[in-house]
Amino acid sequence: MRRVAIVGYAQTQHQFDMDKTREDMVFEVVKEALLDAGISREEVDTVITSSSDFLDGRTISSVFLSMAAGAYLKDESKAEEDGTSAVWYAFMKILAGTHDVALVEAHTQASTFNPHLVSFYTLDPLFDRQVGLLNDIAAAAIQARMYMSAYGVSEEEIARVAVKNLLNAAKNPNAHRKIPDVTVEEVLSSKLYYHPIRELMMSPLSDGACALVLASEEKARKITDNPVWIEGVGCCQDFYLRDRDLLKLGSLEKAARDAYEMAGVRDPLTELDLFEVSEKFAHEELMIYEALGLCRRGKGKILLEKGLTEKDGEIPVNPSGGALGADPVCATGLVRIVEAAKQIRGEADGYQVSGVRKALAHGQFGICAQKNWVFILGGER
Amino acid sequence: MWRNVAVIGCGQTKHGRRRDVSLAEMVEDAAWKAMEDAQLTPNEIDAIVVGNMQGFGGVAHPDCWVGDWIGAPGKPVMRVATGGTTGGSVGQAAIYAVASGMYDKVLAVAWEKHSDSKEPGATTGLLHVALGNLAHALNYGLSLKHLIVTQAVGAAAGVALYQARFYMHRSGCRIEHLDMVAAKSRRNAAKNKYAHLRWPGCTPEDIAKTEMIAYPFRFGHICPASDGASAIVVAAEDIAKRREKPVAWVKGLAAYSDEENQLMSESYGGVGVLDASEQMGCRVSAMKAYKMAGIEDPKREIDVAEIYQPFPSQELIFAERLGLFEEGKAWIALEEGEMEIDGRMPTDPSGGVLSTNAIGSSALQRILEAALQVMGKAEEHQVPKEVRNAVAHGWGGVTNYITVTVLGDSPR
Repeated sequence: MRRVAIVGYAQTQHQFDMDKTREDMVFEVVKEALLDAGISREEVDTVITSSSDFLDGRTISSVFLSMAAGAYLKDESKAEEDGTSAVWYAFMKILAGTHDVALVEAHTQASTFNPHLVSFYTLDPLFDRQVGLLNDIAAAAIQARMYMSAYGVSEEEIARVAVKNLLNAAKNPNAHRKIPDVTVEEVLSSKLYYHPIRELMMSPLSDGACALVLASEEKARKITDNPVWIEGVGCCQDFYLRDRDLLKLGSLEKAARDAYEMAGVRDPLTELDLFEVSEKFAHEELMIYEALGLCRRGKGKILLEKGLTEKDGEIPVNPSGGALGADPVCATGLVRIVEAAKQIRGEADGYQVSGVRKALAHGQFGICAQKNWVFILGGER
Repeated sequence: MWRNVAVIGCGQTKHGRRRDVSLAEMVEDAAWKAMEDAQLTPNEIDAIVVGNMQGFGGVAHPDCWVGDWIGAPGKPVMRVATGGTTGGSVGQAAIYAVASGMYDKVLAVAWEKHSDSKEPGATTGLLHVALGNLAHALNYGLSLKHLIVTQAVGAAAGVALYQARFYMHRSGCRIEHLDMVAAKSRRNAAKNKYAHLRWPGCTPEDIAKTEMIAYPFRFGHICPASDGASAIVVAAEDIAKRREKPVAWVKGLAAYSDEENQLMSESYGGVGVLDASEQMGCRVSAMKAYKMAGIEDPKREIDVAEIYQPFPSQELIFAERLGLFEEGKAWIALEEGEMEIDGRMPTDPSGGVLSTNAIGSSALQRILEAALQVMGKAEEHQVPKEVRNAVAHGWGGVTNYITVTVLGDSPR
């Protein structure tokens, strides 16, 4: 099988109500990624973008972005939902041998159309939407309550996830929600949406974009001395909300298993140096630990308690601040890949974790993380 | 590196105004038919690619809900959507997934259910594309002139109308030729049991009698807004070779987009494309796909074409852009009967998009119909000659998206 590497990347300063049009934002981030890779538009063989019609608030969300993304007169396509899906597609195109250099771009301006409102339109239109009780926050609250009562997890313990990630985000120049002195009390006194979900336990509404340049081994060696290899990919969709066991992230378990197998990872706990995950709600991060095989089911809180997942812990999770630090919906998973690659290349100024050789990046989409993508990235050597 | 891929199963629903099924039931119908045709159970499918245009059915990311009906839980699912080319993009993503070596058997499903939107005919969805221009115009400071132009775009039909005028001016094609294409499409559709607008024995004179909508398009020239779904199963070479039934091999594919074509673009952001019928993206895509397929002379080597033509002018324009006829001469070939089902170069023997347009599914249907012709399974609308190579085309966006897929009776 061909090897594929990340050779360049860029992301915006994620924020609410960005003072830029969608087109300008995409143009700038793509230009920056190409500059980072040190290649010109002419050298790109295929462009895969990722966005969503509902989230962009218009039909065919990619249609006026061909030029902004440098895709005109180039092979192009759009994978919707999370940007990690676009990376998955670009990766397969390079593996197929038809393309050597791929540009991936993902974005959402959450200030355009509230993503929580969009989540309502993803519900079964014949029943759940008509009943009008559910959205992604309500469903996450049900899940959190189930998780808390099944495994004896307290609100404080969930708030601690938010504190960890928000403190990390404060050191990340691209993050959106930065509260350098955030405390458990502050998280627990933030606005209540659906019990136990509070404002600071939810990802913020961010405007942002992210771009990535991928290349085949041969090209990657010419482009950079510091390639980050894609060693494993896994993705999986779960049942629709009604038929799922909400106590676990089943599709993430499967996606992680596939990615580990492809990358030859037997024990993620010892073999992987860093994790960048998309936790749209604080309690999800604990469930993600379990699904990734870092601990047994229900034991996620212990990893947190012991400080293992802190930036300077044994298995740092989200030193960038994760999705709680910034959530430009379709770009969030792609940002995780960029943050993991950044750590492997030693470019995470101000929040660099030392000695990162192998890292995991995770993207999710859908209510209660119905769909999941897992990437295993590795540095040179 | 490239691993050979073949279409081993095809399934589609009856198209029309499908108030008898829900969106999920409709999608399920096509997907299960394709799996049945491929002699595979849902458990044997490795990955799924889905797509439609979200705004038309009013369900956001419908794969999250519909997935349960097509065996998606526990599998990798990619959602691809690129407007009119959605189906083509879905099919191509499935092909790449197998060609890459990542997955052996991939199901591609695309659909549209127009009648679920509040305004039948997907006016809402299509106008949103045009309204996108409004946002674009805002970038440069909105003026009344901009606003009027935006209103005048008239969504897909509006764009296609200007495109048709460019082509007619350049080539000498007349409105009678559009009548001929439309009549041919309705007649071919009459032979296709899944098609929406079926009119046996329809003549150009019948079409000419229909009301003029906006010159040069008459009512009879306009595609319907159909409900329907289509699905294919693609598989790796070793699996395909074990099949007893005929398969259609993927020989080449490309999806080169053009610059965005906007009305009066010169004064609206400096977009270069002024002639909407130029379709450079299609020329480049065809060139690349043929090169990959080892086809040097498409006029001779392509036996049948499934062209994405919601409007009759587009069958002529794209037949030329796909290299099947001389520049500006497709309408002459049409007059001589070359594009008929039993002609030298049959185009859209299924009736094409002009007679059945479930938008998200339409471009996948082109791949599906091309595959049926290669396999010799198109039943009543099978072209009466040996089909060695077939080309499937998709078109969309603001006239800037293209997918071209070449299928054949032998592996690459």
